[in-house]
Amino acid sequence: MVLFWIFGVLVFFGLIIYGLQIVAVRLALSPVRNREGHPILSQSCPPISVIKPLKGLEDNLFGNLESFCVQDYPEYEVIFSLQDENDPAYKVVRKVREKFPDKPISIVVERCHHGFNPKVNNLFPAYRHSKYPIILISDSNVMVDPYYLRTIVKPLDDPEVGLVCNLIKGIGGKTIGSIFENLHLNSFILGNICFLDRYLRIPCVVGKSMLMRKSDLEAVGGLASVKDVLAEDHFIGEKIRGQKQRVVISNYLINNVNEYWNLQKFINRHVRWGKMRWKIGGVKYLLELTINPVFTACLPLLLWGPTEKTLSILALVCLIKIIGDFYLGRSISTPTHPSVYLLSPIKDILMGVLWFAPLADDTVVWRGNRYLMGKDTRLSLCPERGGAWKTRIVEGIKAKIAW
Amino acid sequence: MLLCDFHIHTRYSDGSVGLRRTVDLFGQAGFDVIAITDHVVNGDNPFGKLANRFKFSVTGESFKTYMSHIAEEAERAWDRYGMLIIPGVEITKSSFSSGKSAHLLLIDIKEFIPASWDYEKIFLEAKKQDALIVACHPHRTSDKTFVDTLFLWNNRDKYARYIDAWEIANRDDVFNVISLKKYPYIAGSDFHRVRHLYSWKSLLNCKKDMESIKQCIRSNWGVAITLFRN
Repeated sequence: MVLFWIFGVLVFFGLIIYGLQIVAVRLALSPVRNREGHPILSQSCPPISVIKPLKGLEDNLFGNLESFCVQDYPEYEVIFSLQDENDPAYKVVRKVREKFPDKPISIVVERCHHGFNPKVNNLFPAYRHSKYPIILISDSNVMVDPYYLRTIVKPLDDPEVGLVCNLIKGIGGKTIGSIFENLHLNSFILGNICFLDRYLRIPCVVGKSMLMRKSDLEAVGGLASVKDVLAEDHFIGEKIRGQKQRVVISNYLINNVNEYWNLQKFINRHVRWGKMRWKIGGVKYLLELTINPVFTACLPLLLWGPTEKTLSILALVCLIKIIGDFYLGRSISTPTHPSVYLLSPIKDILMGVLWFAPLADDTVVWRGNRYLMGKDTRLSLCPERGGAWKTRIVEGIKAKIAW
Repeated sequence: MLLCDFHIHTRYSDGSVGLRRTVDLFGQAGFDVIAITDHVVNGDNPFGKLANRFKFSVTGESFKTYMSHIAEEAERAWDRYGMLIIPGVEITKSSFSSGKSAHLLLIDIKEFIPASWDYEKIFLEAKKQDALIVACHPHRTSDKTFVDTLFLWNNRDKYARYIDAWEIANRDDVFNVISLKKYPYIAGSDFHRVRHLYSWKSLLNCKKDMESIKQCIRSNWGVAITLFRN
């Protein structure tokens, strides 16, 4: 009975945190537009180099890239960076450049193997090519409005601000994997970013959009300082904060377009992200399970079977979660059909199961490469699976000792 | 080189993706030319009757709507993606026997051609409309859920003179017999589902207009195939 009440308290705790997350999201989003309904834009518009590292075809790639070429901004350049001309994204960026011949669009194709992080490797040549003192690093699966640059550049008016990143909303789910991804982005990820920023003053940097001065990045060691870590966005943020500069989360919501993901892709991403949080947060990662009330409410059902009490608690928590996620979705104006939110508890249960994966395995697969991940998400090469299990164990021990 | 796919189905027949979404999917992926080729099924056997009954086939009645919708999407695709869309159909002569089954792509078709006509009549009418005639999946495929379509290959001596190109690769299958016979070739995805985007495609070294594309395929000069993967 005591155990049952412990679970009850955990579920209640999870729901309280969830409620606070919703409040934090509402507060974070409030001043996006002025009284006339127009976006609040920066009056000073320093020139910006937009760097887009590309690899492979993301959903809606043409539209995503196109949205950066139609910015209402006086002086900026867009640099598409690829490692290989055979990459299918190369064809797309060429078509985008053909469509906007009068825009300053460059395509940089250069193999670079400075470090283990493939995204950072992709950034090096584009960074060298960039000509303006402010850079925006932006992922290829991001779509924005024409006033995006004008909005996010505003915090940089303050010289104490070293990095501006953004809140994200997932849109476009057409398959089960992408529906789960968008539900997760629009509730757990968005809620936690706002919660940490609002109540704990911890700005959570997500690399989908990072605006900073080159001088600030170079002062913390430049891209080279994060070439071997997986969470390069987090560590750039940490290093900039270490220089007594502020990291600001802009209330401009960028669209992360996820349309045709399969379930495997969703699972892979969140196991990878979970491993990153485990390596960065350590024991704090354990708290994450308690802020998944749906999963916590499932545990009594597993322990005591389907009784009236266990089923009622689970049903009630699921209902609260469905309504809460629906409300969050409406708050951020996602075009998601209301019935989709019925899948929210199923996604939460899956996420609860995936939560355990980082505790069991230190390897991570990203962009086709397998790595061993050590402390602070530091990467090292991992022998291929199958056959050489002894080597993997030895390498794993070495990695643990090294960091 | 133009990245092309000349074998695409939508919800106008048995595809799982609507026409507009299909166009966006290929446009977003950087394609230069695609042909929408929904099935026109012969209604003279149980297969065809079922296909027509459950609207898995473009019919004489729906053909006009089908063509006007493609024309509308073609305009949008050209403005948005610089992608050329060609209207077409896949004449589907299905039978319980693979030796009697054949599928034909008619690309740049203008008027409806029923699949129940005999082969020669279909070829002559397609020629009259200046449509490109492509024999699709002409040999044994790896997909064992459907009957192979071997009729045209088995009767190639009689019909090859009408056929502008043969599919040398279809989705994941490659038909080496086409190269051994030195027939003109193209490759297509036989797109029915989103995952079929990643499959064999054609590359054409020509201008992006209808006449140049047809000329390129017919002469088979400047044609290559590629396995499109992410």
